[in-house]
This record gives sequence, structure tokens and C-alpha cells, in this order.
Amino acid sequence: MDPRPVPQPDNKMQWGTRLGIILAVAGSAVGLGNFLRFPGNAAANGGGAFMIPYFISFLLLGIPIGWAEWAMGRYGGRKGFHSTPAIMGVWGKGPFARYMGAFGVLVPMVIYFYYVVIESWCLRYAFAYASGGIGVDPAATVAAQVEASKAYFGEVTFSASNGVLTEGGIHASLWFWVVTFVLNAWFVFRGLSKGIEKFCLWAMPTMAVCALIVLGRVLTLPADPVNPAEQNVLAGLNFMWNPDFSVLRNPQTWLAASGQIFFSMSVGFGLIINYASYLRRKDDVVLSGLTAAATNGFFEVALGGMITLTASVVFLGLAATQANSGGTFSTGFFALPVVFARMPAGNFFGAVWFFMLFLAAITSSLSMLQPAKAFFAETLGLPNGKATALTAFICLLGNLFVLWFSQDLVALDTLDFWVGTFLIFLVAGTQIICFSWVTGLERGLREAHEGAEMRIPRFIGFIMKWVSPVYLATIFGFFCWLKVPDYVRTIFGADGTPPNKVALYSWGLILATITLLIVVTKVGANRWRAAGMDLDGRRPPDDENEGAR
Amino acid sequence: MTTLAWIFMLSSVSYVVGLMIWCFAKVLRNKSKRE
Repeated sequence: MDPRPVPQPDNKMQWGTRLGIILAVAGSAVGLGNFLRFPGNAAANGGGAFMIPYFISFLLLGIPIGWAEWAMGRYGGRKGFHSTPAIMGVWGKGPFARYMGAFGVLVPMVIYFYYVVIESWCLRYAFAYASGGIGVDPAATVAAQVEASKAYFGEVTFSASNGVLTEGGIHASLWFWVVTFVLNAWFVFRGLSKGIEKFCLWAMPTMAVCALIVLGRVLTLPADPVNPAEQNVLAGLNFMWNPDFSVLRNPQTWLAASGQIFFSMSVGFGLIINYASYLRRKDDVVLSGLTAAATNGFFEVALGGMITLTASVVFLGLAATQANSGGTFSTGFFALPVVFARMPAGNFFGAVWFFMLFLAAITSSLSMLQPAKAFFAETLGLPNGKATALTAFICLLGNLFVLWFSQDLVALDTLDFWVGTFLIFLVAGTQIICFSWVTGLERGLREAHEGAEMRIPRFIGFIMKWVSPVYLATIFGFFCWLKVPDYVRTIFGADGTPPNKVALYSWGLILATITLLIVVTKVGANRWRAAGMDLDGRRPPDDENEGAR
Repeated sequence: MTTLAWIFMLSSVSYVVGLMIWCFAKVLRNKSKRE
């Protein structure tokens, strides 16, 4: 049998520059979670003390699994594969890992179903601020302003009831969603170097400049004239950073920190594997992986951790900030519009802020679409245009589901919990097991060190093999114990509460999507086997060729 | 702002900023070496 890989449509693609892939991976990681989820998470889980489990999770999960993904992806690319199922099949040496890899396509794709909708909200907010504000009266009381912000949020997100997106004509938010959807599809269609890379090379510095402008404004805000002792910049920073060490005994804190690391660094999503598969054999993955992770950390801690809650405390006071900092959306969409209404030149800063959020979101959503496109291209042998069209069509159906079932954002929340949190643990666990145990740590590190511009420290090898899997399993155990029962009760109903139909439908959507992906993976596996490709990673590494490169 | 809050904030921010600068400096230095 001819061992040469069959030419795959995606094999023609590659990154243009080293900086390009670093910024593309960093762009994938830097998203709404850095600016909206991180500060609320930190403030609710011990403030400064949250940074202890956060950095421990960074060291024990984020960095090791991230490096494993980079190495696995680049090696898979040499075998002629670019999709997570194919590459996991190679590293996991068989069909089980390959079908688990299908979850590595499910995760970014289903997150895309709702993420791009949130992205379109940011675009609408940016446009509204650039054209005169969102209608929050600067002279009203804080309570009235928060209510006005919530009312605007409800209007943008249709959260009052289901199926209102076309009521009384096309809803304005739909136009912003159409623009966002088309932009994503267009950049992914353009390919890696001409689309995603080119966009990220422009978007990442722009995002940093926007964030620094807002940060500069926030850190120079004068104290509130009525209550200067409690409503000033230092009080705001204190609210975010003052440590409460008692929370370290609570498993919820460790869960929140590891969840934040996963969601924020995009590890366990199947994205990095896909991006790294377009690297050449001698391209560095170790320093590039660390640089992308560090860039994400900078946006999260140095920018996200300093802006939102600080501004909120200065203008709203501690009580209102506490009341509005619990969830991802409440900080960004309830509290900050009040801040912008009370700030001089607030519309300008509001436009800059939400445009920055839009950029952060689109660089992430592009990275969610690309793995799915690569998957359909190489499993079904589709050319770029058809693979993009098929991916866009499936995502369109997912988007319409989220847009239609908009009441109280139940569909969005259900998809986020089961796919955006639960399945990430499973995908990340499978990846690190395949890397460290099935293929073997020694072989994995040797692959990572090919062309590397820095060595992976020896203790990280120990962490990859022993600590990461055990830590991950422990955190996942706590997650199943503390979080899953509530969501199961929501779906199926309990203690006289009827089942939540939308949550049930969301589950149906997830099951339908994974069924489709598993069937397509099976079709792809048959195709690769017929073409004589090493889909189970059985051939020795030295025997491989360079694929289509 | 408490002393502990200052310590946690400054050390966390310095760590992420320092790591990012170190990484990019190494990437750029290696690039110029190769060229």
C-alpha cells in the first residue's frame, strides 16, 4: 500500500509568518472571557487570592495541555491531517481517540452557535455608542440607569420571550448578526494567511490600543464627589484585588479558576491542534505556544483585571458593583453602560470598549469556524469553498436556534454549560492522555522539541504525565458533584418543577451535532484508510514523509 | 487599598507583562539571529 498521504484540500494552506500564528492563537484565546468573565470570577472568588488557583491552573493545566496540543497538531499536519479527530486518532492510536476527537470539533462549533450571537451584540453596542449612546439618562439615579441598561440589553438580545426575532419586521439586532456572520465566513473562506492571519495581525494590536485607551481613562478617573472615600480608583482596585484566603478551602474557587484557564486559553477546544497542523516540521511550537499563552494572560490580568470593576466601583459604588459583577453579562452589559453614561465623553469610550470586545470576539470565533471547516474538507474531500459553505450552513442553523430560543438566554446557557465547560474537560483529558500515555511522554516531548527555540523544562514533563491528568480528573469530579445535578434537574425537571423544554431542545441540538460529526468522522476514516494514510499512528515516526509540503 | 491587594495586583500584573515581554523579545531575537 502506498504510504504517501492522499492530497487533502487543506494541505495547500499554511501560515505566512511566525508572528502571524502567534497572534492568531493569541487572538483565539483573547476573547470576551478575558474582559467580562475574568474580573467577575476573580471578585466573586477571593479577589487577589483567586490568582493562586488561577496561576496554579495555568501551570498545571493551561501550559502543559497547550504545549501538547501544539506538538500534536504539528505532527498531525506532517501526516497530512488537520482535523482534531484525525490527529487524535494518530496520537491515540485508534478509533476510540479518533471518535473522542470528534468532540474537539463539536466544542468549537457549538460554542460558535452562541458566541457569534454575543459577538453581534458587541457590534451593535459599539455602533449605538458611536451614533449617540444607548439611551441611558446621565442625570438619572444609578438604579434607574441600571434598569435602562437592562432594558436595552433585553431589546438587543430578545431575552423577554422566544421567537421574537422577526416580530413586527426584521429586528435591528438581526442585521448586526448577519454582518458578523458574513464577516466570519468571509475571513475563514479567505484561508489562513490571507484571511485569519491577516485579520489577526491587524486586530490584535488594535485591540491592545483600544484596551489601553480605556485603561488609561479608568485609572485617571477622579473620585466620586459625593462619596470620595469609597468611590475612587484605589477602592475599585481594592475590590478586585484584596485577597480573601478563606475561599481557597472551597472547591468552587478551584473549579472557577480552572474553568477560567480553559475557556480563556482555548485549551481543550481542539483549536490549537488545528492551527498548529499548518506549521512546517521545523517550525517552533514551544516558544510560540508560551508567547500566545503569555499574550492571553496579559490581556486577561493586566487589562481585564484592571478595567471593568474599577470603573464600576468609581461610578456605581461597591454595593451596585457587587450586585452586577456576578455573571459574565452583568458586568459588561449592565454595569458598564451606566459607567459610560456618567463619564465625560462616555459615548466615545463606550464605542471604543465595545468595538474592542467585538474584535476580541471575532478573533476567537474565526478560530472556532476554522477547525470545523478543516474537518469537513478532509473527511469529505471538499474544496475550500464547499467546506466553508457546509460549515457556515450548519452554524447558521445553530445560530438560528440560539436566536429563536432567546428567552432568559436558556439555550445559550445550556449550550455553554454542557459544551463550553463539561466537554472541554473531556477533550482536554483525552488530549493529555493520548500525548503523555498512549503515544508516550518521551516521544511527545521529542516531537515538541523539533525546531524548538526553547526547551520544555523537565518538571513540566512530570506535570504532563502525572499532575495534569490527576488534577484534571479531580477538578472534573468536583464539577460533576457541584454543578451537573442542577443542570440535569433543569433539563428533566425535579421536585414538581417541569422539565425545561428549551434546555431539552438544546440537549437535542448537541446530540444531533455530535451524531453528525461521528458519522462524518467514520466516513473520513474510511476515506483515509482507502488512501493508505496512517490514521491510527502505527507507522514509526522516522518512516513518515512530509505530507503535501 | 490594602497592602495585600497591592502585592497581589502588582505581582500578578508584573508576572504576565514580564512573561509576555520576555517571550516576544526571545521570538524577535531568534528571528534576527536567523536572518
